[in-house]
Amino acid sequence: MGHGERGRPNKKFKFAKDDHRGSAMEDDYSFYPDEADDEPCDGENEGKKRDFTNLELKLDHGNRPLWACADGRIFLETFSPLYKQAYDFLIAIAEPVCRPESMHEYNLTPHSLYAAVSVGLETETIISVLNKLSKTKLPKEMIDFIHASTANYGKVKLVLKKNRYFIESPFPEASWLFLVLKKLLQDEVIGRARLVSENAQGSDGFTISKTAGEIESGHSGLLMESELAAAAEEKETHAFEIDPAQVENVKQRCLPNALNYPMLEEYDFRNDSVNPDLDMELKPHAQPRPYQEKSLSKMFGNGRARSGIIVLPCGAGKSLVGVSAASRIKKSCLCLATNAVSVDQWAFQFKLWSTIRDENICRFTSDSKERFRGNAGVVVTTYNMVAFGGKRSEESEKIIEEIRNREWGLLLMDEVHVVPAHMFRKVISITKSHCKLGLTATLVREDERITDLNFLIGPKLYEANWLDLVKGGFIANVQCAEVWCPMTKEFFAEYLKKENSKKKQALYVMNPNKFRACEFLIRFHERERGDKIIVFADNLFALVEYAMKLRKPMIYGATSHLERTKILQAFKTSRDVNTIFLSKVGDNSIDIPEANVIIQISSHAGSRRQEAQRLGRILRAKGKLEDRMAGGKEEYNAFFYSLVSTDTQEMYYSTKRQQFLIDQGYSFKVITSLPPPDAGADLSYYHLDEQLALLGKSLTNSTNQVLTAGDDAVGLEQLEEDADDIALHKARRSMGSMSAMSGANGMVYMEYSTGKHKLIGHGQNKSKPKDPSKRHHLFKKRFG
Amino acid sequence: MPQVKIIAKNFMDMVASLPAIKLDLLYRNQFICEAILRSLPPLAKKYVLQMLYIDIPITSKSLQEWLLADGSSKHKVAIDRLIQLRVFEVIDRKKETTYKLNSTFQTNLRKHMISGGILPREPIPQSVTARLPTSEELDAYAHEQWECFLLQLISSGQAKKSTSFSSSMMRIFQRGLLRQRDKEAPRLTESGFQFLVCIMKLMALLPLFCVCGLMDPYTDKLNEGKIEIGSLSWPLYLNWKTLMQLFFCHFVARLFILCSDFHVLVQEQGVDQADLIAFLLELSFHTPGEAYSLDTLTDDQTTMIKDLADLGLVKLQKGRKESWFIPTKLATNLSVSLTDSSSRKQGFVVVETNFRMYAYSSSKLHCEILRLFARVEYQLPNLIVGAITKESLYNAFENGITAEQIVTFLQQNAHPRVAEKIPSVPENVTDQIRLWETDLNRVEMTPAHFYDEFPSRDVFEAASDFARMHNGLLWEDAKKMRMVVMAEIHMLMREHLRGQNK
Repeated sequence: MGHGERGRPNKKFKFAKDDHRGSAMEDDYSFYPDEADDEPCDGENEGKKRDFTNLELKLDHGNRPLWACADGRIFLETFSPLYKQAYDFLIAIAEPVCRPESMHEYNLTPHSLYAAVSVGLETETIISVLNKLSKTKLPKEMIDFIHASTANYGKVKLVLKKNRYFIESPFPEASWLFLVLKKLLQDEVIGRARLVSENAQGSDGFTISKTAGEIESGHSGLLMESELAAAAEEKETHAFEIDPAQVENVKQRCLPNALNYPMLEEYDFRNDSVNPDLDMELKPHAQPRPYQEKSLSKMFGNGRARSGIIVLPCGAGKSLVGVSAASRIKKSCLCLATNAVSVDQWAFQFKLWSTIRDENICRFTSDSKERFRGNAGVVVTTYNMVAFGGKRSEESEKIIEEIRNREWGLLLMDEVHVVPAHMFRKVISITKSHCKLGLTATLVREDERITDLNFLIGPKLYEANWLDLVKGGFIANVQCAEVWCPMTKEFFAEYLKKENSKKKQALYVMNPNKFRACEFLIRFHERERGDKIIVFADNLFALVEYAMKLRKPMIYGATSHLERTKILQAFKTSRDVNTIFLSKVGDNSIDIPEANVIIQISSHAGSRRQEAQRLGRILRAKGKLEDRMAGGKEEYNAFFYSLVSTDTQEMYYSTKRQQFLIDQGYSFKVITSLPPPDAGADLSYYHLDEQLALLGKSLTNSTNQVLTAGDDAVGLEQLEEDADDIALHKARRSMGSMSAMSGANGMVYMEYSTGKHKLIGHGQNKSKPKDPSKRHHLFKKRFG
Repeated sequence: MPQVKIIAKNFMDMVASLPAIKLDLLYRNQFICEAILRSLPPLAKKYVLQMLYIDIPITSKSLQEWLLADGSSKHKVAIDRLIQLRVFEVIDRKKETTYKLNSTFQTNLRKHMISGGILPREPIPQSVTARLPTSEELDAYAHEQWECFLLQLISSGQAKKSTSFSSSMMRIFQRGLLRQRDKEAPRLTESGFQFLVCIMKLMALLPLFCVCGLMDPYTDKLNEGKIEIGSLSWPLYLNWKTLMQLFFCHFVARLFILCSDFHVLVQEQGVDQADLIAFLLELSFHTPGEAYSLDTLTDDQTTMIKDLADLGLVKLQKGRKESWFIPTKLATNLSVSLTDSSSRKQGFVVVETNFRMYAYSSSKLHCEILRLFARVEYQLPNLIVGAITKESLYNAFENGITAEQIVTFLQQNAHPRVAEKIPSVPENVTDQIRLWETDLNRVEMTPAHFYDEFPSRDVFEAASDFARMHNGLLWEDAKKMRMVVMAEIHMLMREHLRGQNK
């Protein structure tokens, strides 16, 4: 364990140099390889940069809520009377590093400032508000950094108006901005793409128009009145039109690696007369919660729709935000989900929250190929279906063609953190959309792909604070626990053997003590509290063994859609089915609102995202609101147990995995005494011979080269969501290095073996060893 | 170099450990008698005062008759203390223990009661000294000197004024508080950590100095030459006093434990340990903030006062002709005893569930102390940001600091914002600190001997039976005929094997 034991690497100054990380990450099997990979910047920073005692403290510093350091780190006191305002402001301009109860930490990064600019904050506003909130005088470095980072951002917008693309820049603010447009035009690509209109008004043939200023007034209390006035005024902008066919190229030219004027995309949907309107409204009972309102207000801040990402914890009502956005834009909407089950759920959500007519919404998956009627509608499908590059059936080909040809008002993308960048590129290039909204719970990945999202979709528009939502009773208050299960002697002896280096996972997952702890917890929660329990196991062998032994239903990759639905239905409604076993197919999107206990017996190395996603399965608030609010009747109403075998790699991984949640203010309680010592033969694997049999099973299987728990890589499951899986698969395999940018100081995704994965579906049952000559030596004695 | 034998817990323990002759010498000084009296537990004080004008020995039986039913344990403590300090002389007569006040002590205390103490020196009049530092300035000075000294102790090179300490003195103190391994930077020992932690509490209270200083009745009474006994009813006074008690309990005691060494060094300059103690106690009866001429001091005392100035006990100043010293409050409260330790303190540390630690402090000393068990990441004008990590804790454990000490430290210094919460330090953090400690203790070392190459299986088996019989067999490998036997029975084993060989 060791939550928070590493300082977070400082992302900010690592913008262009993320090369020195990766190398240490390739071998993930040294016992505690944390020295090398975590803090490469520690040496350079310590002492030199981090002593900011010379900053001048303001006289009334007690009343101000934050400290700002020259390296971009910001500390915010949550007990300050100005906390709420300061939080809203900081979340707009900075990346949250950790948000526990009393003190938050943020980092100013180029990306976060890009996001700030794109929601309409200007450089001077950022600096002056920050200065007002700061206990000290702002360090000069920080001011310079804000200037440098925001100089180019947000100065150019790509606006789709009446189906014509314009590149727009606010004019009289500063005359040099005018030069930006000129500079852009001097570029070959952009110059060629320009369409010269006949009614040009400006001196250089630019179109001059007026745009509504920001109506948002979140920070008004902190701004000078004059600044406010300026913000509310209509702004004059200059623009020129470009050829729709060239839009992609122009955008490309504007990225940081070229001209470095990243364009903000805005969609003036109210003035879009070309695309047909879709008749949908939010139903009256759909009352967005305050934070949902806030995230929407960031998106529609100036009357147009901005592209970007909204980050809300699982269970906090992301789908309502998505549906609300679609009903505001009222144009055709393409909604992308990760798998077929969640496609069904999205379609359901649309019907639940909005007045959309049934014939206007359709699902497009390998199983159901519907089409909507009329000239506008909502299509819900998966990433894979759209991005699939291989041969399709005739019917799907037709639908895809329709998707390609339509101009979508909104491209709604669920779980953007799981989808690889390649697929995004593909999806985005295939579909033409005016506005893109990404939804996610955890904007962390263990690879560098998060960076791409910024430019592929747009900046992060809003990110909610988990603890605040817990306090407000909007999501469940989860008691997290890490259960330490000591390895049994025999298992540990095998674990330490060199020849078993590839079976380590099998050994620590199948540790009898872990099994017993799991059994104990299931019993306790089923019987004492009447809870609904999900048990997660990434290791298929373990999943099957556990589920069989305990006689519980399970769902994994090979389970058919029909069977899944059946099992989930039983879990939701039946009193007899209170526990289900899920492989990592259950990580995302499967909505199981009834569950309130999670037991995790094996997991995917050090993936922080997976941990958060899994926790998300039980975050949906249950019971009465007043009970859940801080100080309510029930202190905890959901439980998250992570079982780890002590002294194994698992301990190390679990530390990594928990980091994200810990940064959100969750704490993991360590439990060392499970199962209770007096549990005895009540629980399975009490007797040594049972344990040894289990050990034999875990070990011998691998010698047969059939699929078993043995080989770690084989035991891991490859998701098979859809027939069109190949694209996803390939993309996954290419991931291998890390970057400081993503804050990914966790572990890498494991590489999968393509060949072996085919065996998964049918290999399960063949796994029992039959050939005595191949028995593990421990058992040869007993059998022979 | 003589070894430190007595582990004194506070200043008076130190005094008590002096040889009898030295003590008797000390009691010739009226002020010391008063200081001793003050330092006594309340019951002991009462006994002394009751017996002050009694010239004959009193039997222990009659002493016990004064007691209430539940007072016997206090009585025992009081009597022990009095005997330790040689205030009571024990005379065994006719199988009965009787007590008598030490006659030197008695005479001098009587004199002191009647006439009040007269210091060997008078304050220099204002006309000579011109402007003296105000009480605030003096406190600030004492504070600064003190912190500088402590900083110097834990980390050489951090303190700004490092040059002001005589290196010999530094070395002496460091010997007690730091452990230096070959070629490594000196590290704090466990007692050193304890010491610092106690000092920390005082540092948090330093702002109280000024407030209390104005209202302190202590000095007034002293000026009137009255003896202050019992009734410590003024809360502010009590607080401040507790503060000073803590101070001296921990600081002076340590200082003087080290004095055994110190003593040797100063002896070369002709200073005796008893003289030093006498001088310190005498100093505590001076009025803080007044100037006293250096000429009134003996040569030994002049040597000593320079070191004391380094510690912030006195401030040295030079006029046109004369030089003088100004005792600070640190000096004038040397003789206060430790009787109760309820002190109100202002915490400053916030520990979060993610193991991050935010300390509202601008003190370098705080920073250094936190650094002992946490990784300090940011230093801001009034905030220190750190993280408690496995590595940082392992460092601390290696230095002999225990998990319990760290947890207690974090709890006692919890920022008011979190102090009222229960627990004030997140449970998962305290649990983890303890777990990490127990993690280190999982391996137990047992000295042992390894035997192999037994000539025959019989010999091997006999040997292993023998070892088992003596509960000394730790491990055996019957196949390869090897075993490990506890070191304690190694000799027995050897004899046994020799017997077998014959």
